[in-house]
Amino acid sequence: MNESVPLPIARKGSQLLKYLRPTFGVVVLLFILYRLYSVLVIRHEYGADTWTRLLITGLIIGGVYALIAIGYTLVYGILFMINFAHGEVMMLGAYAGFFVFEALKSIKVSSEPPLNFSNANPVISIIIAFAVGMTVSALSGFLLEKIAYRPLRKAPRLVPLISAIGASIFLQNAAQLLFSPQLRDVTNPEILRRGIGWKILINGSNVIIPYTGVFTFALSILLLIGLYIIVRKTKLGRAMRAVALDKKTAALMGIDVDKTISQTFLISGALAGAAGVMWGIHNGLVYYFVGFIPGIKAFTAAVLGGIGNLPGAMLGGLFLGLIESMGPAALGINFQLKDVLAFAILILVLTFRPSGLLGEVLSEEKV
Amino acid sequence: MNKTLLSQSLRVGITFGVIHLFLLLIGFNAMLGSLFADIARVKQSGSIPASIFLVLYCALLGVWAGYSAAKKEDANVFGRKLVRGLIAGTVAGLISAVVSIIFAVLVTNKIDPRKYLAVLSLDFMRASLFNLPVVQGVAANFGVLAGAGLAGGLLTALSSFSKVKHAWKNFAGLVKGGLEKIRYCTSGKYHLLFKIIFLVVLAAAIFFLPTKWGSYWNYVIGTVGIYVILGLGLNLIVGLSGQLVLGYIAFFAIGAYTMALLNAPEPHNLMWGFWPALALGVVLAAFAGILLGLPLMRLRGDYLAIVTLGFGEIIRILLKSDLMTSFTGGPRGIQDIKGPTIFGQPFNTDVNFMYLIIGGVLISMFIYNRLKHSRTGRAWLSIREDETVARASGVNTVKYKLLALALGAAFAGLAGGIFASRNQFTGPDEHALMASINVLSLIIVGGMGNIPGTILGAFALKGLPEILREFANFRLLAFGALLVVMMLSRPEGLIPSRRPTLQIPEDPQSDEENKEVSHVD
Amino acid sequence: MKAMKLLVVLTVLAMLFTACAPAATPTAAVKTEAPAVAPVDEVPAVCASDAFGCAVFAPGEVVKLGMGAPMTGGDSAFGLDISQGAFLAAKDAGDFNGVTFEVVAEDDGGSPEGGAAVANKFAADPAVVAIPGHIFSGATAAAMPIYEKAGFPMLSPSATNPALTTKGSPVFNRIAFTDAIQGAFAANYLFEKLGVKKLALVHDGQDYGKGLVEVVAKEFAALGGEVVATEAITPKETDFTAVLSALASKAPEAVYFGGYTTEGAILANQMKQTGLENAVFFGCDGTYGADFLERTGPNGEGAFAVSLTPPNTEAKLVFDAAYEAAYGSKPGTLSPFSWNGYDVTAALISMVKSVAVVGGDGKVYVPRGALVAAVRGLKDHVGISGTFTCQENGECNASGPLFVVVKDGAWVPAP
Repeated sequence: MNESVPLPIARKGSQLLKYLRPTFGVVVLLFILYRLYSVLVIRHEYGADTWTRLLITGLIIGGVYALIAIGYTLVYGILFMINFAHGEVMMLGAYAGFFVFEALKSIKVSSEPPLNFSNANPVISIIIAFAVGMTVSALSGFLLEKIAYRPLRKAPRLVPLISAIGASIFLQNAAQLLFSPQLRDVTNPEILRRGIGWKILINGSNVIIPYTGVFTFALSILLLIGLYIIVRKTKLGRAMRAVALDKKTAALMGIDVDKTISQTFLISGALAGAAGVMWGIHNGLVYYFVGFIPGIKAFTAAVLGGIGNLPGAMLGGLFLGLIESMGPAALGINFQLKDVLAFAILILVLTFRPSGLLGEVLSEEKV
Repeated sequence: MNKTLLSQSLRVGITFGVIHLFLLLIGFNAMLGSLFADIARVKQSGSIPASIFLVLYCALLGVWAGYSAAKKEDANVFGRKLVRGLIAGTVAGLISAVVSIIFAVLVTNKIDPRKYLAVLSLDFMRASLFNLPVVQGVAANFGVLAGAGLAGGLLTALSSFSKVKHAWKNFAGLVKGGLEKIRYCTSGKYHLLFKIIFLVVLAAAIFFLPTKWGSYWNYVIGTVGIYVILGLGLNLIVGLSGQLVLGYIAFFAIGAYTMALLNAPEPHNLMWGFWPALALGVVLAAFAGILLGLPLMRLRGDYLAIVTLGFGEIIRILLKSDLMTSFTGGPRGIQDIKGPTIFGQPFNTDVNFMYLIIGGVLISMFIYNRLKHSRTGRAWLSIREDETVARASGVNTVKYKLLALALGAAFAGLAGGIFASRNQFTGPDEHALMASINVLSLIIVGGMGNIPGTILGAFALKGLPEILREFANFRLLAFGALLVVMMLSRPEGLIPSRRPTLQIPEDPQSDEENKEVSHVD
Repeated sequence: MKAMKLLVVLTVLAMLFTACAPAATPTAAVKTEAPAVAPVDEVPAVCASDAFGCAVFAPGEVVKLGMGAPMTGGDSAFGLDISQGAFLAAKDAGDFNGVTFEVVAEDDGGSPEGGAAVANKFAADPAVVAIPGHIFSGATAAAMPIYEKAGFPMLSPSATNPALTTKGSPVFNRIAFTDAIQGAFAANYLFEKLGVKKLALVHDGQDYGKGLVEVVAKEFAALGGEVVATEAITPKETDFTAVLSALASKAPEAVYFGGYTTEGAILANQMKQTGLENAVFFGCDGTYGADFLERTGPNGEGAFAVSLTPPNTEAKLVFDAAYEAAYGSKPGTLSPFSWNGYDVTAALISMVKSVAVVGGDGKVYVPRGALVAAVRGLKDHVGISGTFTCQENGECNASGPLFVVVKDGAWVPAP
């Protein structure tokens, strides 16, 4: 439970560093302030309506990132390994959601007027989609751990990482071969049609708050709160925290370590599955590569917030989403460079807080 | 006792049934069937129906299932192994039968599920029923797997009873003994003689092979060589000093783009020539390593990994972006990069480049080897093992970590320069995240921290996908699966590093080392 | 000791490859030398005079066309689709003096590295005579020098990088639409016909889209219009509302997009919720297709694109039916280039047939150098997606673009 212990060092290299880091920070900060000033005050490029739109976009995407990031953080907190295949677990959930909606769409409830099950019982449809998607992802997370990670628990740390990378490549290509590389459109129930939402008038321009977005964001937050309660209040959560702290001692205290790890993978998989279904509902496209980019982003978010730390992952996800949507506008740079900005801020944050925004709640074993 | 027999065999059967189902749904059986047909060279004559090969595929799978189940039997009882094989085969056969019933229903009703499952055309499903009428097809699907399972059990049982096992043991012993002998010869008093013979053979191979095996193999082996250099460089960083770097390919990109910008007609037409561009690329890459390292020296483990990953992506996106297009050529990349000249003569055929790459590999290996066994190398090892302790015992960790980053990056710069010049092209997308991951995978698959492992890993990671070309779009699937299997079966890598231990009886190593060092000096 | 071990390993590896090498070289050597070894009276004279010699096929053998395409990874849809079109063309080519045609699709991952590897592999295969590819410009550029040495004509269905045809390569040709012409026409159409004065440009950060957008920007400004913003999106992402919101604040009258249907459809959809309800979505040939209609629904109404496909000719209908029967999806759903894949292969095969000579021994001789020249001299080849005549630089599709617009859920020629 230590925040990297300061060590007495007096060497030239570190002396250099001592001055370098603040200088670096000040330069970057000055640059950012200058850009902000020129864009916001001098050029006044965007109106309040645009900022609201960017905020909405950022929050929605940030919510999804947070949900996936939690999966990384949970697994990392316990096994100290980067579950590189987590994005693919999400992809499987997204596919499951797509298939459920397709199946429900094909069930005709009445022919006059033409009505299918998915539109007749939208709430039930959505619940089924999430249930199936989360189950599929949870199971695949569980199997992944059992087949590709568990035998490597005693191996050097990089070995499970490579195994995870292999699993990620395998799953991506398996999905491509199974379902073809075609992009699939997810057909939502009518009440969650994409592109419609509440309209608010700002600056004489209609700003739409899309239903799918609100749904996605709200559900993300609900799931995150639910997870927090599980980890903090239940017996399982206590077991997870104990295993994260020290596996040996936890085992001595009568905790079934293997079972706890399996359950962790189940939970993180389920969350990724939910994220996958949401991705389908909000963005509408599902294909075999759909998990890769969000996976990398969520991993970044988890590290940004302090990997191993639940609120950190959530904060990191939202922060990353907002940087991606508002950052380029605020600094007046091309949106193509949003990932450059995101990673640059990551580097900046880690330069000053080497263990992420919220530090880390991890055992010493990690270091 | 019987319960374990039943449950274990059931489990094996179900596993193989599911594997069979999965392979069926991705069309692997059809691909393998046509591959068998190609091997048997019956494609043109068409005398043997293609379904024979599908049956063969099923039979092989069944035998494997039976073997896996029977192998689990501890007791050396003939019947028990048979029963295990039979159970596993039957279960897998049952699953296969259920699937084929579904196929039969779809075929008879002419429902084409390809909208959702890509390979299930009607023809394909008919072929999976071995082109037989429904009932026979389903029965055959069941029968072949069950029978093959039994056969697998029988095979296992036989092999454990007959002299097969014995013969195998003898053979393995022979090979092992042979290897021991070779090792003895090479390390004993014939040491020098063998060294000379090996060197001569190696030199001859290096000299003659590139001219003999044609441009394709020059290309493939050349790429492997480039990745050996990359692997060695990353080994300095990850394998020796223990810093996990995920954006290593960025340094490669710096080398490649330096070469491209300085030695191509567009966009700048500087035409410095190959050698100055290569040298500058190496220096710039090393400089970038230091620049990246300076603010990040406090980071450890996975934090460093993600930051370097980010760095790699930043470089890639910037190379590609509108902002830099006039400078770097944007997404189009840079073409017509010129090759090297030696004494005014162009040195740019595929054979020449092969020599160049071999030269680069040899130099990298030499430098790597010297560094590893030097004071610096030991400092890196100490940092890798425990940074806190290393620091406490007087190692300047910051200096050594930066040194590792800079040197590793320089290796990548070298590889990048040669690579760009050989391909006459470089573009932003060849420096994507997946390339970094490939390099990291190769050093871990090969065995971290040693040169033979790196070479073998480079062959496995860059050569294997070329060899797997026959598998067409199953290529990456097989690659991913192999990566997992390799890690599960050999977590230390194909060639594990041997750590120097204290119980070396006569310690020839250090003597030898000192000698070599004095040679160098 | 360590060094010794290393040497052992290296030697073993070297031996392995010496062991492999004899297996590989004789076949190549024998085949390429075949014309010289065969009795003189049976070898057609063209082979002796041809700069690259002849490829020889005994009856029953297969003439291979080597397609380098991304078959795995994020862009595999393109490779899969175009190769499927090409397979059909090879099937349609039928039997030619006892030999048949086959398209061999090798995975180049769309990358230069893969392109060069595949090209080297084809170059070593004596049965490959022509290259319907590659698919992506990067892979094409890397592969080109290798084919130049081997004497393989290329006819790419989709590589659009303008630089590919400016280097004077004798082997490279393409039927893909050149960015320069399309861009100029589009700028003109936007300014003159639609009366757009303020234009926003978006591209997908790839060769093709970026090239188009650069041309449009230049031409539009030259006409006197104002380009209010140029933004790039990241392909494979699905949420572009942030970019679009930023564009909306500049109040453009139209958004020109250079890229493909996947992102184009998302943009058209999301424009309706980001304050760009009244701006016109103007796409390119990459965004044309039935897929765009399905993905956008009512949001796509009024969107423009460029069509290369003459609406429903008989040949197209036949191909569409054959494609769907063979692969279970409509052409154009995986990529907009299904028809191009067929066309390039069919054109190459017809050129092979036109230069091939049947020798006195009944074998088919394909003079390689003559084939390269024949493909460059392609004239009035009627394909599904147009009629192709190759110019001296290798551009085989210089016809003016046909603008189409979505009206009542269908593409119709724009006024």
